[in-house]
Amino acid sequence: MSIPRRALVTAAVALVLPLSACGSGDSGGSTDASGKVEGDITFQTWNLRANFKAYFEGVIVDFEKKYPGTHVKWIDQPAEGYADKISADAAGGTLPDVVNVSPDLVAPLAKAGLALDLDKSAAQYEKEYLAGAWASHRIPGMTGTYAFPWYLNTGPLFYNKSLFKEAGLDAAQPPTTYDELFSEALQLAKKSDGKVATLANVPTVEDFGRYGVELMNKAGTAFSFNDAKGIELLTKYKELYDAKALDAQALTATPESSGRKFLTGAVAMNPGSALDLGNFKKQAPNLYRNIGITDQITSTGKVNMYVMGVMVNSRTKQTPAAVAFAHYVTDARNQMSFAKKVAIFPSTAGSLGDPYFTQEDGTDETRVRIAAAKSLKNAVNYTPVLFSEQMKTALRNEVAKALQGKESPKTALDNAVKTCDTLLRQQG
Amino acid sequence: MAVFILYPFVSTVINSFTDRRTLIPGEFVGLANFRELLHDEMFWTGLRNSTLYVLGVVPALVLLPLLLALLVQKNIPGITFFRSAFYTPVVASIVVVGLIWVWLLDERGLVNSLLEAIGIGKVGFLSDQWLLLLSAMAVTVWKGLGYYMIIYLAALANVPRELHEAASVDGAGAVRRFLTVTVPAVRSTMVLVAALSSVAAFKVFSEVYLMAGPDGGPAGEDTTLVMLVQRTGTGLTGRVGYASALSVVVFVVTVALMLLVLRADRKEDA
Repeated sequence: MSIPRRALVTAAVALVLPLSACGSGDSGGSTDASGKVEGDITFQTWNLRANFKAYFEGVIVDFEKKYPGTHVKWIDQPAEGYADKISADAAGGTLPDVVNVSPDLVAPLAKAGLALDLDKSAAQYEKEYLAGAWASHRIPGMTGTYAFPWYLNTGPLFYNKSLFKEAGLDAAQPPTTYDELFSEALQLAKKSDGKVATLANVPTVEDFGRYGVELMNKAGTAFSFNDAKGIELLTKYKELYDAKALDAQALTATPESSGRKFLTGAVAMNPGSALDLGNFKKQAPNLYRNIGITDQITSTGKVNMYVMGVMVNSRTKQTPAAVAFAHYVTDARNQMSFAKKVAIFPSTAGSLGDPYFTQEDGTDETRVRIAAAKSLKNAVNYTPVLFSEQMKTALRNEVAKALQGKESPKTALDNAVKTCDTLLRQQG
Repeated sequence: MAVFILYPFVSTVINSFTDRRTLIPGEFVGLANFRELLHDEMFWTGLRNSTLYVLGVVPALVLLPLLLALLVQKNIPGITFFRSAFYTPVVASIVVVGLIWVWLLDERGLVNSLLEAIGIGKVGFLSDQWLLLLSAMAVTVWKGLGYYMIIYLAALANVPRELHEAASVDGAGAVRRFLTVTVPAVRSTMVLVAALSSVAAFKVFSEVYLMAGPDGGPAGEDTTLVMLVQRTGTGLTGRVGYASALSVVVFVVTVALMLLVLRADRKEDA
């Protein structure tokens, strides 16, 4: 059977065109944000439409009123697969003008030249934000800041008072140091005959950081969490795992599955945020009646915080409007207004001193909010911005091998560091 | 076809010879990706698990649906209900099915509660590397039974009743009739089922991903090849070149599996 020549040519063009498009690299927009704020821009958020539709529509209407001639199209993506959606958009040249990101998402986008350097385009706004928050979107090995800091989050450690009491522990005196945590976890497992674990998750890079482990070298060119302190932490987790003080399914746990285990009383402690109190009240009233709230345990004196950011696509055709909108969403007034709708914290200078974050009203929610706001003043985002998903998987797998006794904690961490360093080099 | 099948295929093959990343076009690196996967421990883990999956799932999916089809083939009152019941898992979403099985097999799930009640004690279906893989295989078999049962029902309808009657007259019992009449009559359908199920089993993703988690079970020991492709090649820092090389290997092994099954069939015919 002969194939018509025209069909062959069409097929060849269909094949070659997309291939040639892959490397075209149209640099598009300008870094100059000083022009007139006008034009159509697209703003992408990360799973916020379901609960905050009215808030964002209000922000957009106000912005368009403030800058006539602008039009903001808001799109929201589900939490699941958010990084994959951004990857597909970035690779396909359809990344929105303004994008809600976390620091680990910004790093590869900045390296690919897709994130606008705000130190060049919007340096005048830096003083409006907390210094630590502004710095959280700087990438080791690069100069510049690649996203406006948006909301911060941190939270306490929740514990189940009933389970503590049943194990003969003082529910009014929860552990405040790692030594106390480990010894009480062992006691709880022993008293419950291995039926109740204290923790449901294997240590993550953030846990190593909070334990006081140096995660990377000063230059940010290699990982170093296989030091003596790192090995010490993993050795202690191995003891917990052997004694069933760390849940048997911890090796395959996700934050959602450990949250469920805490709700059902299968584990005694779980990290969370003020937002969780509402869930406990609704989904597990018994647990809510027995809920204990204590501070994150840390050896460094600094708790962990999560930072959200708003990035401007460097290829936007509307740089002044995109920068103005990214700033508008993250300015003190809008952040404060957003913080009153949900348990998050503003990253703008001075906002944490607002009475909303300092004055008690007798409720648990306010107590958690005030404690979190206080701890945020010197909190740290322990997860290195260059720590990719592949690196997280490599660390989790090596930690699992150590806990199962297939490798010593030292070998496991040495292997994890070796793999992460290789991945870091491959990132370029 | 050129856009949705041929282009992605050719693009994957081309990418497998590059060090392309999600956001970085990459350069030609020859066979470096293929050399790297020979030394990648996780590749061998994935290959082992995908192969074990074929070995565990295919015999069950060739035999059990046939037996099931024989059971529901008879026209007795109420049999339509059983036919529909056996087919229901096929139309159910794999995500829903996977999550239900995770709840059932959880340490505090129904299955473990029953095992504890009868004195066996808890079994780590979701925490032991081998039990996890076996559990995922069981879900694949359970979900596939109805689909292959329908194929067998169509084949059984074409088996002449006279052959069974003649065998019965000659004194053959049910087992003998099954081996000497039914199996030879549906042999080509069995080969088809073996080919289809082996390809699907080698490319398994959803069941293991849902039950073992995105890391592929404890220490990634339950990772299958397709899970490794997904984990390596996606995300903002995905290694598209290396994941493409893995995909090429999956493709080659899948084609080889098909050819192997068809060749075995031809040998039997000769």
